[in-house]
Amino acid sequence: MKTKQTIAIIGASGNMGAAVARSLSKGNYRLLLCANNLDKVQTVAYEIKESNPDAEVEASDCSKDASWEADIIIAAIPYAAEKEVAEKIREVANQKIVISIANPLNDFFNGLVTAPDTSAAEELQKLLPNSKVIKAFNTTFAADFATPVIDGKQADAFIAGNDLDALQTVSELVETAGFNPLVAGDLSVSGTLERMQLLLIQLNMKYDYNWLAGWKILHQ
Amino acid sequence: MYTLFFQNLNSKVQLTEEEEEQIKTYLTLKKLRKKQYLLQEGDVCKMIAFVEKGALRAYSVDENSNEHIIQFGLEGWTISDLYSFLTGEPATYNIDALEDSELVIISKSAHEELLQTMPKYETFTRLNITGAYLAMQRRLTSTISASVEERYQDFITLYPHIAQRVPQHMIASYMGLTPETLSRIRKRISSR
Repeated sequence: MKTKQTIAIIGASGNMGAAVARSLSKGNYRLLLCANNLDKVQTVAYEIKESNPDAEVEASDCSKDASWEADIIIAAIPYAAEKEVAEKIREVANQKIVISIANPLNDFFNGLVTAPDTSAAEELQKLLPNSKVIKAFNTTFAADFATPVIDGKQADAFIAGNDLDALQTVSELVETAGFNPLVAGDLSVSGTLERMQLLLIQLNMKYDYNWLAGWKILHQ
Repeated sequence: MYTLFFQNLNSKVQLTEEEEEQIKTYLTLKKLRKKQYLLQEGDVCKMIAFVEKGALRAYSVDENSNEHIIQFGLEGWTISDLYSFLTGEPATYNIDALEDSELVIISKSAHEELLQTMPKYETFTRLNITGAYLAMQRRLTSTISASVEERYQDFITLYPHIAQRVPQHMIASYMGLTPETLSRIRKRISSR
């Protein structure tokens, strides 16, 4: 697509949000970085501009205005904040792609707080019934964005959602970020993807991968 | 956010509150800053945009890089590359914002679903496309047969107050004139 798309990243001052912002700033996108703490998110924007002067990036503390301007919204927020953010952006997120990156982990990193038959993405879809919620960027650690090729292999990044056009658009985002996009299925697959990351986190802590690890599907 | 949009819709087909709510679920609200593109030539146009606030223009670019403005979109107007929207072929127009703007967008998929499910929306679409056809016929006739003065008067009738919002060279581009010719015509008209 030639027409530059505007992406609002809500929670862009966090580890994941900032990593997503940095990697997408290489693409044909205009980024609106939002966070409650304006100073922090301005620093992220400044750092991106410094390393890539051509990047179009702005900081803001208003998730509603940024989502209103955006074509695509990335909710780089913890599961616990979904409800509050959804309420702010519901009207302006209508019909737009909203990417859920959250993994609803418990405080001990040994289980999920969501019920077995649902997921953070499906819960966000319920809160934003007229948006196109897509699960993506949840099976990659923040450090992977700087190094998407690990041990010589490009990490897979799984995507799940119900709208075919939206899945295509998000696949392009994932590719821009340097990962191999892999559409796993409709939004109901999100629960599996969130549990996969739970496992990767547990493996990381057990075997000390230094938070640089990812999934790769081996196939013929 | 969509006051003008629903005023426009209700002036053509009276909606119930439930119908308004139903249509709202299909609408995309979008803000565009001055000089930002809504559509670039070569992409398929997958939406119709209603201008709630601000001003946009649709234009084509010839092989010598000259811009030819096809349409202005001010408050209450819709703007799109209808040919691309209806055929699915790549757009030949660029659409960008002349001022910071607020848009109410109907995507192609939302448009098709609404056409299937809501007869009033179908009526609204028919009236809109008929209006667009009439406007195009008027512009075509005016361009090929009217005097330049008459064309300028037609333009001002169609877009009142636009001269205060849009630079002269863009009005000249819309009329297919050089800015110098346009300036002479305006002087001639005002000296009468």
